[in-house]
Amino acid sequence: MSRLQPPGGLLVWRDQAAPGPDNMAADEILAGAARQRGDALVRLYGWEPGTVSLGGFQAIADAERLPDLAGWPIVRRPSGGGAIVHGTDITYCLALPGTHPWARRAEDLYAAVHSALVDELRARGVAASLVDAATAARVPAADFFCFNRRAFGDVVIAAPDPGLPAGGWKVLGSAQRRLAGVIMQHGSLLVRRHPLMRGSGSHPGLADLVGVVGDDSAGLVAGWLERLAVRLDGPLGEMSGPSWASFEADYQRRAAKYAGDAWRRRR
Amino acid sequence: MDAPRRYAKSHEWARPEDDGTVTVGISAYAVEALTDLVFMQLPEVGAAVTAGESFGEIESVKAVSDLYAPVSGEVVAANTDLPNGLETLGEDPYGKGWIIRIQPSDPGQLDALLDQAAYDALVGSQPH
Repeated sequence: MSRLQPPGGLLVWRDQAAPGPDNMAADEILAGAARQRGDALVRLYGWEPGTVSLGGFQAIADAERLPDLAGWPIVRRPSGGGAIVHGTDITYCLALPGTHPWARRAEDLYAAVHSALVDELRARGVAASLVDAATAARVPAADFFCFNRRAFGDVVIAAPDPGLPAGGWKVLGSAQRRLAGVIMQHGSLLVRRHPLMRGSGSHPGLADLVGVVGDDSAGLVAGWLERLAVRLDGPLGEMSGPSWASFEADYQRRAAKYAGDAWRRRR
Repeated sequence: MDAPRRYAKSHEWARPEDDGTVTVGISAYAVEALTDLVFMQLPEVGAAVTAGESFGEIESVKAVSDLYAPVSGEVVAANTDLPNGLETLGEDPYGKGWIIRIQPSDPGQLDALLDQAAYDALVGSQPH
């Protein structure tokens, strides 16, 4: 990958929307690059077609018996957490070298990323906050969908709605895969409710709840990442994706793993 | 008396046994860092493992972590009680919290691992 900024801070790879297996393969390559270079890297991307991603240990049978998910492509992430309906969210994958101070405890990396978003939302007048321990303790942790869970540190916003769930509406959830020498953190910022999803997998996004990012999700994300780079004591830089001439075979091999049943149906 | 444990930088420990096998677990440091363990996937007995490569996975509330083999060889035993009692990892990581036992193909690989002092130094240098 080509670097456009010196080391330190955070380098952003703004990628295009892609199918689930391709996205997971690209995230693995990102993690390898972070380990090799010693940099904090983040990839931003979408999903085309809309896809349901499962946490690494979730049973695919639980997805297949939900009528609302019939016909949806399903991919299994390497990271933990609950299922996410992608297509109207902005997904990030942050890869951090294992030597980084935020790499030791899972909570530290969640807190850094999530609090940066809370600060950006508050600067835009949105009543955002992090789920506290008491709320997290009283919401069942094992719900199938990520956005029905309330883990400590998830980003929620209060909204004038009689259906307001415990702790507020969740708009950002994250999950990690901790590998030798690198931490990969996935997260989904829910921009708006997916028009094709019904039932327990349908969740309102920021645009539905407060309208603040309806036309400015790019600005919101830019502000969020700027704040995160400040916490990383460095600049926010841009990076290009892999040079496909050198990564193509590796990328295809990884994508084939995520598309294959050995991985998809492992649980 | 047990033989001294050796450690991988990825926080697995390995202890040679009198019968030539190597018992493997994860360090107390690693257990403390993972916190709130919810699921573990063990290899089958008879599986081949390779030093430095993943032999299993463990999930805490929101993080999945790989478990790396400290030596190459064949898995001759797996602690199948562990997935249903993950608290054992925290209570007794070097005893009842053992994870697998390996018949090593090259016992000399143990020499490449960290001794207790080197591991303590590694952990001491880890970010807190």
